[in-house]
This record gives sequence, structure tokens and C-alpha cells, in this order.
Amino acid sequence: MGIKADRVPFFALVLEQMITRIAGINVRTLYSSPKIYANASIMAHEFFNVDAIALPTCVPSPIEGLAFAEANNKPDVIKWFDYAPIFIKQGEICKTEEDIEKLEIPDHNKIKLWKTTFEASKIIIDKLKFPQATGAGIWSVVQQLRGAQAYKDIKENPELLSLLCEKIYQSNLDIYRCWTENVGPVPIIFYLGYAFNKTIMSFQDAMKFEGQYIKRLQKELKTPIILHNCGMKPYFKEVCAEIDFLAINGSNPADINYWIDFKKQFPKVTIMGANIDVSRELFTGDPAEVEEKVKENILNLAPGGRYMVSPICELPFNVPLPNVLAIPQAIEKYGHYPIKQS
Amino acid sequence: MQNAGILNSLVKSIVEGDKEQTLDSISRALQSGLSIKEILEDGIVKGAEEVGGLYEKSEIYLPELLLAGTAMTAAVDSLKTHLRESTDKYSKGIILIGTPEGDIHSIGKDIIGTLLRAQGYDVIDLGTDVLPSVFVEKAKEIKPQVIGLSGLMTITLTKMQEIIILLREANIDSKIILGGGIITEKFCTMAGADDYATDGWDGIKKIKKLIELKTQEGT
Repeated sequence: MGIKADRVPFFALVLEQMITRIAGINVRTLYSSPKIYANASIMAHEFFNVDAIALPTCVPSPIEGLAFAEANNKPDVIKWFDYAPIFIKQGEICKTEEDIEKLEIPDHNKIKLWKTTFEASKIIIDKLKFPQATGAGIWSVVQQLRGAQAYKDIKENPELLSLLCEKIYQSNLDIYRCWTENVGPVPIIFYLGYAFNKTIMSFQDAMKFEGQYIKRLQKELKTPIILHNCGMKPYFKEVCAEIDFLAINGSNPADINYWIDFKKQFPKVTIMGANIDVSRELFTGDPAEVEEKVKENILNLAPGGRYMVSPICELPFNVPLPNVLAIPQAIEKYGHYPIKQS
Repeated sequence: MQNAGILNSLVKSIVEGDKEQTLDSISRALQSGLSIKEILEDGIVKGAEEVGGLYEKSEIYLPELLLAGTAMTAAVDSLKTHLRESTDKYSKGIILIGTPEGDIHSIGKDIIGTLLRAQGYDVIDLGTDVLPSVFVEKAKEIKPQVIGLSGLMTITLTKMQEIIILLREANIDSKIILGGGIITEKFCTMAGADDYATDGWDGIKKIKKLIELKTQEGT
């Protein structure tokens, strides 16, 4: 932070799908030891020439569902895949009102995969001298624990839903505590703000069941926050008018003009992404199309800084590798400061 | 006039997601002599269309959509108990849905299933993380007019392609629709699907159109 880059940085979510593909191992092996986890992650990030490295399990998405499953003695809901993230069967952990009332908040120092994550993060810091961040998120975990019923709860039982959100918030704080103890100071929080989607709920409800917890985190932890939202119709402008974020990380809407306007409206918020989506040019296109998309983003959003090229969401295993490699190549071609508008 | 009032009341209670009021309206509608078909088409389906319209305009969201779905499901279940044995088949079409192997997201698929059943369609839901062979075997068995493949992750797109290939190799001529925010028109064409939808309500409209198309084709 505060350092001027000589070119536009490249940020990508290189998670289980790509790490296992590049390192030639499956997910069980990846998570079997901190050393394997750290080294495989470094290998995959270096392969793609990404400027930042973060472990897949540093943010409370599937791993937090796993933590709640283990803390509440429900290991059967955890689903392992060979080359994809762990998933939790949605809605099984908090099926009933009683499940929510009795829900135990995990001690992340006792969850094996979190312990592996802490140790792997320390290895990365030692090797690369690159700080490691952790994450937070409420609705991403609500969906795992409560499933579709959570959406009905918004209208039918908001107090119960608020109780669940509060427990997840306390779990987020525990992650932060354990991270600080085991890894070191948290430089940035990567927040999964999935409630902020126009296809899911009103902005008012999103502030109630996600936004207020972000504000509390900011007040309590005083750590800068990046808002991640890979949804189709995110409330980026609306939420940035309410909450100060260091950066936003998303790929929709696809119209570049939205992002040009966003940058004018919120000049202090770094855009990580704009409209580069892994299911569009990266998946169905070719390297030339990817280059054009990256060029469009750089020419329109990079001047003045506070922009990073970032395909969203995680790089899936079935994205052609030449398409991903076209991104750092395009940055090399068009992304050196000062940006040439030609 | 009275009948029109009862049907309007049914529509309103569905739009408001009020299950109790919906059941009360169904009861009054039956007592007033309205036919099952009239109650379904001019009450429940009309309610569903109003709900869909509000969702498309972002005047309501998933919570309201789900509650309306609950009210509609209760209405249809209540109507079913009044169907005579000889006419207990009131199906506007058969739809097979599921989330392919490797993906366990289900919310969008579940919403579509609920709302379609509530409008008189037979929906067979294979669940999540479904093997391609299971789609094929079930399609051979029930001969659906439409097969819907739902997914939230780009990794699922490859499985969707595989399933379509296997379905066509098995000479299954159902219309195929792909669902999920990750689906693009380009991918839909590449994969050989008949249509795609990026949200639940769009999916429902397109599934209905595909069924009409199948009916016109006479298959």
C-alpha cells in the first residue's frame, strides 16, 4: 500500500482447481501438509505470473462451512472433490431453528484445515516476503449453513436469521484472532459480500444481513477491506456509497462504461477486475479476444492508477491455459505507466 | 363478478406470499363452482406471472419469490386433493432438472422446480452432483419435453457439454436448457443446447416456451 507500481498489477484467484492442475496433485494431497499446500500454491501463481498470492482457504467460504461442520459434529455434510474446492451440502448444518440456537462457533485453532492454512501462509511469507491476508463474509456462510431457507427467513423469521449472522460474525472474528496469533498481523481483509446482489435481495436487506457486519468489522479491527462479489448484478455503487472499501473485486456488469463511471464516482476505491469474467472470453474465447478485453480495461481504467487486471471468479480448470497466459502478456504490452492511449 | 373477485384475491395472496390466505382463496374458489383449470390458469398461473414480472423489474427479490412459491405449492397441493381419480393427470409438461456432477449448488434449480410445479408442470429433480449417465437414464425413462441443467461454477460447463453429447448419442430429443449466471449465449451454442437462462424467472419463461415448441413439433 502506498507504493506506486510501474505497470498495472495482475491479480487472480488461483484456487484449488488451477493449483491441482498445475501442480499435478489432487485436493486431498494439496491439503495434506502445509509444505505441499504452500509450494503448490506458489508454483501455480508463478506459472500464471500473478502479482499477488493468497491461499484458497484463507477466506471463509467452503472452509468456513467445513469449520462449522466439524465444530457441530456434522462431518457427513462435507463433500470432497478431487480437483475442485470442498463443498458443504447447503442447508444441512442449520436445518432447524434449534440447529441455529445451538450452533457452536468454531475455534479455528482446532480445525485441521485452518491449521494447515495458517502454517502454509507462514511458509509463503518466509519464502516470498509477501504478506498474507485472511478473509471474512457473512452471507457466503449463511447460504452454506441454512441453504434456500435463509431467503425465506429474511421475511418470515428475521430475528432467527440475525442470530445466525451474529454467530457467523463471531466466527469471522475468531478467524482474525487465530490468524493474528498464528500468522501475524492482517494487512487486508478479503470480504465475500455475496448478499450485495440485485438478483438476490434488496439493498436494504443486504445492508441488514451483510453490510452492518462489515461496518462492525471495520470499527473493531481497523483493517482495510477488499469487497469481493462475483454476482451477476452487484450493488457495487450502492454499497461503496455506504461503506469505505480499499478495493472492489468483481466482473459484472459487463459494460465498461459502468466501470468508467464507477471510477469517476469513487476515485479512491481500487478496481480489481472490472468486466473480465472467467466464463466469457477466458472460457469461450481465444488469446486475441482476451488481449482485447484486457486492453479495453487498461486503457479505460488504469490511467491514474487504482486499477488491477483481475479475471473473476476463481480460474476454473477448464479455462484454456493460453487464454489465462494472454493476460500478463497483454499487461506487458499495454499496462506500463504512463499508459499509452493508442 | 363474484368469481372474478375470488380469483383476484387468490392472485393477490400469491403475490404477497401469504400461504394461509391463498388456501382460503382456493377453498372459496372451489365452493363457488370454479373449475380446477380456471383456478389454476386464472388464479395460480396469473399470480405466478405477476410475481415474475415484479421480480424482473427488481420490485421484489428472492425472498418474496420463494414465499410466493410456497403459497403456490400449497395451492396446487390443495387442488390435487380435489381432482377425481379419472382426471388426476393434469400436467402441462414434464421437465427433468438437475445440477451436474461436481457442483452442489441448488438454490436456483430449487426455485425453478417449485414455481413450475405450482403452475401445473411435472418436475423431476435429480438433485445435485448428478452423474451424466443418471441424466441419460432418467430421460430415457420419463421422456421429458425439457431437460434443465443448472450450475454455478465454470467447471460445471464442461460437464454440461458432456451430458448434452451423451443425451444426443442416446437419441433423446428433449429440448435442453442451461441455467446459471455463468452461462453465455456463446457457450449455449457451443454446447448444443436449445436455450439458456441466467436467473430463475428467465428460466421458467424459457422452459414454458420450449414446451410449447415441443408441443407444436408434435413430439
